[in-house]
Amino acid sequence: MANISNSPSDRSDGVIAGSAPSVGPTRPFAKRLDRIQMHLRREWQIYLMLAPTIIWFLLFLYRPMYGLQIAFKDYSVFLGFEGSPWVGFEHFQTLFQSDQFLRALKNTVIISSLTLVFGFPMPIILALMFNEILNETFKRTAQTIVYLPHFISSVIIAGIIITAFSPSAGIVNTVIGWFGVEPIYFLTKPEWFRPIFIGAGIWQEAGFQSIVFLAAIAGVNPSLYESAVVDGANRWQMMWKITIPCIMPTIIIMLIIRIGNLLEVGFEMIILLYQPATYQTADVINTFIYRQGLIGGQYDLAAAAGLFNAVVAFTLVMTANTISKRVSKTSLW
Amino acid sequence: MSGVFLEGIVKRYGSLSVVHGIDLEIKPREFVVLVGPSGCGKSTTLRMIAGLEEISDGTLRIGDRVMNRVAPKDRDVAMVFQNYALYPHLNVADNMAFGLRIRKTPKDEIAKSIEEVAQILGLTEYLERRPADLSGGQRQRVAMGRAIVRHPDVFLFDEPLSNLDAKLRTQMRAEIKRLHKRLGVTSIYVTHDQVEAMTLADRIVVMADGRIEQIGTPMDLFNNPVNTFVAGFIGSPPMNQFSAVIEEGQGGLVARANGTTIPLPALEELRGAAGRDVVVGIRPEHVHLGAEEGTSAIPIELDLIETLGSEALLHTHVGNETFVAKVETHGEIGHLQGVNALHVKPERVKLFDRETGRAIGRAA
Amino acid sequence: MKNMNLYSRGDKIFVFANMVLIALFTVAALYPFIYIAALSFSSGFAAAAGKVVLTPIELTLAAYERVMSEPAFWNSYKNTFIYTFGGTLTSLLIVIPGAYALSRPQLWGRRFWNLLVAFTMWFHAGMIPFFLNMRDLGLLDSYFGIIIGFAVNAFNIILLRNFFESIPTSFEEAARMDGANEWQVLWKVFVPLSKPAIATITLFCIVARWNGFFWAMVLLTDEGKIPLQVYLRHTIAELSDDEEFSSTLLSAPYSVETVTAAIIVCSIIPVLLIYPWVQKYFNKGILLGGVKE
Repeated sequence: MANISNSPSDRSDGVIAGSAPSVGPTRPFAKRLDRIQMHLRREWQIYLMLAPTIIWFLLFLYRPMYGLQIAFKDYSVFLGFEGSPWVGFEHFQTLFQSDQFLRALKNTVIISSLTLVFGFPMPIILALMFNEILNETFKRTAQTIVYLPHFISSVIIAGIIITAFSPSAGIVNTVIGWFGVEPIYFLTKPEWFRPIFIGAGIWQEAGFQSIVFLAAIAGVNPSLYESAVVDGANRWQMMWKITIPCIMPTIIIMLIIRIGNLLEVGFEMIILLYQPATYQTADVINTFIYRQGLIGGQYDLAAAAGLFNAVVAFTLVMTANTISKRVSKTSLW
Repeated sequence: MSGVFLEGIVKRYGSLSVVHGIDLEIKPREFVVLVGPSGCGKSTTLRMIAGLEEISDGTLRIGDRVMNRVAPKDRDVAMVFQNYALYPHLNVADNMAFGLRIRKTPKDEIAKSIEEVAQILGLTEYLERRPADLSGGQRQRVAMGRAIVRHPDVFLFDEPLSNLDAKLRTQMRAEIKRLHKRLGVTSIYVTHDQVEAMTLADRIVVMADGRIEQIGTPMDLFNNPVNTFVAGFIGSPPMNQFSAVIEEGQGGLVARANGTTIPLPALEELRGAAGRDVVVGIRPEHVHLGAEEGTSAIPIELDLIETLGSEALLHTHVGNETFVAKVETHGEIGHLQGVNALHVKPERVKLFDRETGRAIGRAA
Repeated sequence: MKNMNLYSRGDKIFVFANMVLIALFTVAALYPFIYIAALSFSSGFAAAAGKVVLTPIELTLAAYERVMSEPAFWNSYKNTFIYTFGGTLTSLLIVIPGAYALSRPQLWGRRFWNLLVAFTMWFHAGMIPFFLNMRDLGLLDSYFGIIIGFAVNAFNIILLRNFFESIPTSFEEAARMDGANEWQVLWKVFVPLSKPAIATITLFCIVARWNGFFWAMVLLTDEGKIPLQVYLRHTIAELSDDEEFSSTLLSAPYSVETVTAAIIVCSIIPVLLIYPWVQKYFNKGILLGGVKE
């Protein structure tokens, strides 16, 4: 808008000195060129501003997409990307015959499903509870503390977990010791890995994720509550009859987004916490890729696993996006 | 000071045309108001003059320079925006200095201009404040100050008063008028409020649907609207309009509508017009409660009296057409209660062609 | 609504129970930090015996002395500062103009450029091609590689772009009539008007940089260049494996646990220092991001 670029004016007196000569409508190509020239002369600065961003994306995110071809090649460091021979879907076949990969796939689905089931309701409950607090100071202090774990690095959280669950000195074993339970070396027990990992995830993120729901609650029309008070509703009824129905669209959209990101398991944390003894329950696709590729140097196979992961994730996200658009448009609660 | 000249100005968005060829000559120092209902193209026209919209066709000149392809900053025009567009992170002084600093005006000159303009606008004590700490009227003044400090060739106003409450609007209207007298800068002012247009303008340009309907002084438009649109747009309450047929009466031609006969002025254009379909227009202000010399009576039924103070609006109907009259109260409304007829002089009656809506003849 | 007198007895009980529950949650969120802090100030013996629950037992600074006597610790601390400041500054210098350009209606191919950016949120080539790309660009084991390789992300750009788009066009138009060019419109009008959004992405960057671990671990093999998080990870791993260290436990005034805890405390402190700002803006920022797209 804000500019008088590319005027299609045919009047020669509409052109100031120094700009391109105007042309008749009979020369569309020259006219187009004139438009482009005018546009660039006027707007070159925004293209200069855009350039670093676009170059960065091409160099660091799109160039690797080109590199994805190694998933279909027998990659050799000496032959390079271009020189390595094509092998078609061989790596994918290998993957789907590999127990390790199938185990990783299964673990990915299980861990993220469990995270969804146990992790999704928590922030909603927290938000509803925060909403019922009347003392602003108490509310703000509690929120500040509950959000904090989100900002702590996975290394530190892993460090805390390792320390707290340590068999000799950890607080967890100390506490269960009070009840006469023998110390358990939690982090070497496959059956304990998922509860610890998912629990830590909830501890870290539930508070922070409640922000979205708190915002939704803040958006509820206050006169609804006022009329409910006049009608004699109590807090509990208002929560169920007003707050929850009003934030239902947000809940549904967040749920769809979460389902779309189902394959996104916090693998950094897994790398920090798992060990060979717990691989059977802990190893997910990304940790598998890390071990096979970055540690083991089997770049082509690992890239194939990554591509599989990315394609499935992309499909899920796109589906979720479509559904969420439809839901957010039509759902009237 | 420069004049502004628009020749065949057109604005198209793709194939959709919103301004269809505006011809307008604004003289140096003149205060011209573009008025019309929303969507009539008045703002678009103003923004084309400012350089914020591309001109699709036609020529725009300011002074003797063709401006079609000149960037806004090089047109030497200043604009006051509807929402003022005051930078919230800068105080009043810095807001006014913004343009001067960008143009690398020397510091002491900036300081001098700001002091001077602040004085004119009564902003001297607010120079250190942020826009958020100002009242609506003060913000409005700062927005004008920002335009004034640059000493532009032309001022452009885009509905600058529409965010103010009624009382402030009246006050600021007077202030803008006073400023224009003092500075004498060519001004183009866009509004949808015909009262603003009437009070401010040297000349008013009435627009509708991307075209100019009429250009003229406020009184010109009030007395001689060229068509039913202008007649209905200028004046408050608007001119009463109803369909009628011209007939031969005792003392000359009359308009017959709803069983009422309205005597018409003796106009050259009406010769032999008996049987013609017309629209009759009578301004609410142009009726009398009692018979006077030369008036004829229109029988009415009174529906409602709206008291305004020194004046009152009589909402009535004639047949099934509504008719509004504005009459003086002289401090009481008792005498209005039983009114059953209004009186009008033939020369006050306007006639428009029913098909084209164009005015027939020009009365005094 | 805040008038307690309006509440019935049942409501008061409900509100009170809710408050107790929230207090419990808060304690649960906070307790691990208290525990770690207490541990870091306790004696190795007390820690190893599992005596530390809430407060330091046999108060000592031995663990901190041990941590701070390591030059590698200080070096990694310095590196983290380099990555955090260098990275954040680079991000802002690329993202602010980029987001501004993407918000301009007069940008030709705007939809295409926006899609180019947004697409990377949904599809990523993955770990291996990204790593090989960094290797081929010669960015392994380099400060520059870490700083530039993670300088931009689609989410920050879109967040800022949305904010820029929400600024009324009249601000830009006023600036333009005042004679400002594109850079001046950006730096003198849009950036000051977008303080909350820019503060948000700045803090996003700082936190992400400070906490960044995985790629630093993968891309940096030179011990002299690793950031704090990688150092912390190495130390935790080493300490728990180190037979020799374990065998000296009984004589040393610190233990695996207290030293780990001390490093954790050291690396958390900067986060806690900026946390008040982080909290203020993340609240807004996460919502800004949620407005559109």
